[in-house]
Amino acid sequence: MSVSPSLVEVAGLTVRFGGLVALDGVDVVVAEGETTFFNALTGLLVPAAGEIVFLGRRLAGLEAHVIARLGIARTFQASRLCLALSVFDNILIGMHAGRRTGVVDFVVRRGRFLGEMRTAIERVSHLLALFNGDLPRRGFERVGQLPQIDRRRVEICRALAAEPKLLLLDEPSAGMNPEETAELMRDLQIVREEMPGLSVVIIEHDMFVIEGVSQRVVAFNYGRKIAEGSFAEIAGHEEVREAYLGKETARA
Amino acid sequence: MSRDLTLVWLAEAAVFTLVVAGILAERPWALGATGAAIVAAGALVRFVPRLGTTLAGAFARRRPAALGAGVVLALALPLALRSSPYWTFVATLALLYVTIGQGLNLQIGTAGVINLAGAAFAGLGGYSVGLLTVAAGWPSWLAVLVGPWVAVAVGTILFVPILKTRGHYLALVTIAFVFIFNILMNNLEFTGGPQGIKNIPTLRLLGHAFTTKPVLAGVELPSHANFYYAALVMAGLTTWVLRRLHDSWLGLALNTLRDDEIAARCCGVSITRGKLLAFSIGNFFIGLGGAFYAVMVGFVSPPDFDFGYSLVMLSVIIIGGVDSIPGVVLGACLLVPLPERFRFLHEYRLLLYGVVIVVMLLYRPQGLWPAQVRRYR
Repeated sequence: MSVSPSLVEVAGLTVRFGGLVALDGVDVVVAEGETTFFNALTGLLVPAAGEIVFLGRRLAGLEAHVIARLGIARTFQASRLCLALSVFDNILIGMHAGRRTGVVDFVVRRGRFLGEMRTAIERVSHLLALFNGDLPRRGFERVGQLPQIDRRRVEICRALAAEPKLLLLDEPSAGMNPEETAELMRDLQIVREEMPGLSVVIIEHDMFVIEGVSQRVVAFNYGRKIAEGSFAEIAGHEEVREAYLGKETARA
Repeated sequence: MSRDLTLVWLAEAAVFTLVVAGILAERPWALGATGAAIVAAGALVRFVPRLGTTLAGAFARRRPAALGAGVVLALALPLALRSSPYWTFVATLALLYVTIGQGLNLQIGTAGVINLAGAAFAGLGGYSVGLLTVAAGWPSWLAVLVGPWVAVAVGTILFVPILKTRGHYLALVTIAFVFIFNILMNNLEFTGGPQGIKNIPTLRLLGHAFTTKPVLAGVELPSHANFYYAALVMAGLTTWVLRRLHDSWLGLALNTLRDDEIAARCCGVSITRGKLLAFSIGNFFIGLGGAFYAVMVGFVSPPDFDFGYSLVMLSVIIIGGVDSIPGVVLGACLLVPLPERFRFLHEYRLLLYGVVIVVMLLYRPQGLWPAQVRRYR
């Protein structure tokens, strides 16, 4: 899973929170201050300086929903699902921007709308079945009734439903036990096989996950990029080891 | 005829009989017997689980038949109530609250835009009808069709502060708007001040004035039955449109905006567009209810649209079920007639609505007929 340089380029991005520099001088992408980076990329935060170019288009100043329609989808570190809505509804909203029917179809030409919906629900069922064959059957249940791992899957499906060009996953393993994390890694492999053209950027602190799914790793410290390369290269990098494991003061 | 069908029609006939008896019973023993029957029926459905599930299943399998019979009974209601013109009026009022409630529910229930200015938007519809007919000389039916658009237009002006505020602050902005509206209506010259606008001409349909008594199946009905049938068509159409809008991309987008704005934006949903659509469509139907009210009673004045009525509209939604289309119908049909039945409560109407809101929010926040998940059928 890699970000090809032509898809997204980031230069000198700075997001300021009343004096605090959250992301400083990032050249290419991506692990402290990374959520801020995602927020700047998806338009939830306006960068104070710097430039983000996606498919040749500058993203700075664009509204979040406009950026989403350009083909950037994401998940969130803390789940952002609508628990009172059905599993299907939570994923269908990802396809909202690509809808072909409008208010007139909803009310008077109902057949058109229902036809579009049937196709959409079939596609959502297909996506759900990739991760858990039991989920399509539970499509009309409220998402609040699903266990944590399935909710994370629903969130990933919602992002995939939009058919994005770039998928941003913000700490997908957050709050998961080792078994769930292992399932998640299997899920991410499935995404990779099913959508080979899709670029995926993952923020992750679990070294096990990073090793398992990454092709290229970028290490951050205090919002500043400190290293970039394969997992093996990064794992051996001195500054990274210092930042993540602390300084080695004495050798035994 | 299958068992389901019998069951559905029997249940509907029983509810209709209880409602009519509950309204018309005058002597203490009749009132007592009706009350006991209503309590017994309620307890039976509530505490005999098999009966409840059997009924729910029958209604689910026989939806068209159930709806058809419901329409027939709604059409028959003025016949049953013909001895009491006053109750035909109250039933019409309940139907106006169905129309208004559906509009308000799209804003509050579906989109989470807490609009406590329902009375003001109904007032905008009502006053527009008054001004267009009395001052400008328009025919009533045209004024009723144009009035709601005035509510929509004024709503778009108010939309700027509404988009910039959330939750409690949004509620405060809309409360302020009701008071501004009332103060203006009380003090402006052209709206007639505290006197309001009198002598609004009634509706006419193919030369038939709505103030003349209609004859249905050889039976003469009170003149309010005209308005009852017109309001029934209006409430039916409104409910039909709002149900289809709710079970659509629009309803889904608004629900997502309500529950999680950030998730909605990252899915490509425009907050401005979504909230503006919900607010405008909602105001249209609220204004329509107000416009119809104006031609029905023939006058509008400031106290007809004060803040208390915003609370009545809100309680209709809360008691029925927030974001529930059938819930709004149930809420309006319960909450509007109830204080009329118990006249001693009339002075304490608002107190009753307040108590209802508190009790419902504490013990059954999802309402009497909770919102169901969308099925797209």
